[in-house]
Amino acid sequence: MPQLGQLTLAIALILALYSIAANIFGARRGAADVLESARHALWAMCAMVTIAIASMWMALVRSDFSIQYVAEHSSTTLWTIYKFTALWGGQEGSLLLWAWVLSLFISIAAFQNRARNPEIAPYALAVMAGVSVFFLLMLNFVTRPFVVLANVPAEGGDLNPLLQNYWMAIHPPSLYLGYVSATIPFGFAAAALITRRLDDSWIRTTRRWALFSWFFLTLGNLFGGRWAYEVLGWGGYWAWDPVENAAFMPWLVMTAYLHSVMIQERKDMLKVWNLALIGLAFGLTLFGTFITRSGVISSVHSFTQSGLGPYFLAFLLAVVAGYTALLIWRAGDLRSSAEIESYLSREAAFLFNNLVLVGIAFAIFWGTIFPIISEAVRGVKITVGPPFFNSVNAPLALGLIFLMGVGPLIAWRRTTPLNLVRSFAVPAAAGVATGLIALGFGITQWYVLVGVSLSVFAVATVGVEFRNGVVARHHLAGERAPKALVNLVAKNNRRYGGYIIHIGVVMAFIGILGSSFFKIDVKRSVRPGESFSAGPYQFRFEGAFPFDTAHVEGVSAMLTVLRDGRQVAVMEPQRLLYKRQQQPATEVAIRSTMMHDLYVVLAGMDDESRMVTFEVFVTPLVFWLWAGGFVMALGTVVVMWPNLRERAAIAVAIRSRENADLHGEPAPGGD
Amino acid sequence: MKIRSRFVVGAVVMAAAIGYLIFSAIRTTSQYYLTVDEAEARLASIDGQPVRIAGRVKPGGIRWDPATLTLSFAISEIPAAVKNGIQPAVAADAPSFSVICVGRPKPDMFAPGRDVIVEGRIGGDRVIRATQVLTSCPSKYQPKQEQ
Repeated sequence: MPQLGQLTLAIALILALYSIAANIFGARRGAADVLESARHALWAMCAMVTIAIASMWMALVRSDFSIQYVAEHSSTTLWTIYKFTALWGGQEGSLLLWAWVLSLFISIAAFQNRARNPEIAPYALAVMAGVSVFFLLMLNFVTRPFVVLANVPAEGGDLNPLLQNYWMAIHPPSLYLGYVSATIPFGFAAAALITRRLDDSWIRTTRRWALFSWFFLTLGNLFGGRWAYEVLGWGGYWAWDPVENAAFMPWLVMTAYLHSVMIQERKDMLKVWNLALIGLAFGLTLFGTFITRSGVISSVHSFTQSGLGPYFLAFLLAVVAGYTALLIWRAGDLRSSAEIESYLSREAAFLFNNLVLVGIAFAIFWGTIFPIISEAVRGVKITVGPPFFNSVNAPLALGLIFLMGVGPLIAWRRTTPLNLVRSFAVPAAAGVATGLIALGFGITQWYVLVGVSLSVFAVATVGVEFRNGVVARHHLAGERAPKALVNLVAKNNRRYGGYIIHIGVVMAFIGILGSSFFKIDVKRSVRPGESFSAGPYQFRFEGAFPFDTAHVEGVSAMLTVLRDGRQVAVMEPQRLLYKRQQQPATEVAIRSTMMHDLYVVLAGMDDESRMVTFEVFVTPLVFWLWAGGFVMALGTVVVMWPNLRERAAIAVAIRSRENADLHGEPAPGGD
Repeated sequence: MKIRSRFVVGAVVMAAAIGYLIFSAIRTTSQYYLTVDEAEARLASIDGQPVRIAGRVKPGGIRWDPATLTLSFAISEIPAAVKNGIQPAVAADAPSFSVICVGRPKPDMFAPGRDVIVEGRIGGDRVIRATQVLTSCPSKYQPKQEQ
């Protein structure tokens, strides 16, 4: 089995190299049969990597410890589902997963474009195949996943206990799906530059890929936060650790891209900006992998550090240099015909939203690499922690929420101040009223007051949009409200799906506000029978009970939770010891409601004094962060949903472009 | 043309505002990240400053009082990486700092000989009043040798 895995990876590398050559050669000569063979090579490459990953999975599930990777990342006592997920518990397996997903996506892109985009598709596939050549080179020569051990151990080293959690089972693959799918729009963007096909066809062709990428980056970040919340036991979900930042930056840039492409599709503007954003998003996915794997920046997350870093850095620099050169080379073709006419326009709102999103990404980037810069420039390592990221991003987040409220109601091109007042009177009044009510309830932090007001403003503008749409359908088609609502979303899924995402963002923001400003944190050591209080709750420690299984041993503490003298819950936080690694871990007890989470950590036990230390967090509204994340995901599904009208529009656009090509005229600009 | 330049001005103002946010946040929130030896060399300049210091927990002198959640211990320089299987010995008079951390549970992986990052302020008395003690996990898990 190991030989088969390594052999198929070698064949896949050769096929990828062949496909690059065949795609370029076929496109230059206009040889359809060569292009077909290039596509077949990509499908064969995908089949080869599939065999490799399948043999790794089989080795993991069968606990074949003759393979070093299996011996180091799995064990016989590991729960079967985690034997499966141990594939991404280590570096070689993670890269193998990456290469596999990439080959799968390239194959799908090759299939989708077998008859479409005849000019740019071959070059796009060549660029994507180039990316997979890099990963296959790593798998063949630098981090070989199928290294065989001379002395086969009787038992494996087991998966890192922190990764033995269901969120960790789905968090890395979500991020990888998000990272890898950014390769497809990037490939098309590069191909558009190479072939000078710089209209918006590369954007339209890859719109769903970009959304798909955004969808999984959203889920990946969300799952990562949830994992940190449940497993790490510090009561938070986001620590601005370099590894978290690495996953968040591509999400920000991709968000900016998804907004700005709408302006190009509509107004034929921001061509360079869009090309730059997708290049940046792709580059940041590589940068993320580079900093997590190289150990250049110290992180609380412990990853296997290896010699992989320099290769990723070299590849990243090559990609950035090559792509920038392409952009400069084609700068003359990228002049825009139109201009933004007024500050009071949706274009302007989108432009500023882009600046803020990229600004946030830049601030995070700067904070993340600051230790390296300061060491290089001043010879001393200076770090910035969560306070830096919070103080920079907090005002920018307010700006984003404000623009999110403005965007849906402001007209394209230009609007008059009077119209502006008319559109925004109700949402603005709702926002201000909410702020005043919050003030009346004794909330005095200005940030919370402004944040809540803007949130209500943003939701209210979306509400106005939904209401106007439903009323219009009611008058025009005589539909009743519920049916009108469903049809409204179904017929304009891009627009209303986007609004649903906005509502999700506001929900998440409310969750962040509540959990950041009003969290109660109590640490106390007690003996059995003693009580302590946290916020409105009393915790009575009943006792600690040991347990023992094949895989772990531990202690479970029982606490009765009371509020106003009435019992509301029994919570059982645990401390575990993973036997194979002799590594302690904590199993947090969480009781979640829409108002607040109770979060209890069994933080320590002292044998001498027989005291047990608990850390208790009462975190308001954190539920809304997770709920908002899932609403964002739901909205993205609505946006991605196949829309027959849109397909027809694309078909018309392609036909008219082909006609224009025949007659040597420029294609008419969008709608 | 006028319109375009108006937007360039808007964008530049915005970029400048973000730049200022970054600049001022770095000035107010940055901390030195030093090893024990580096901290020893700069002791005068970091007095009272927020710092992060990486060091190794010295065996002996570790006290943990669960009732008051007080952890005190000492850290010394983390020895250079193991070469040829020989761990360089730590000189007995190597510089070290006392650490006191109050109000936090003892970290999971805390033990003598473990590498830690201590966050807090260092005083002229060579005592680090820590707000946080982070233990770095071993980055790779080796299977325990079968006996």
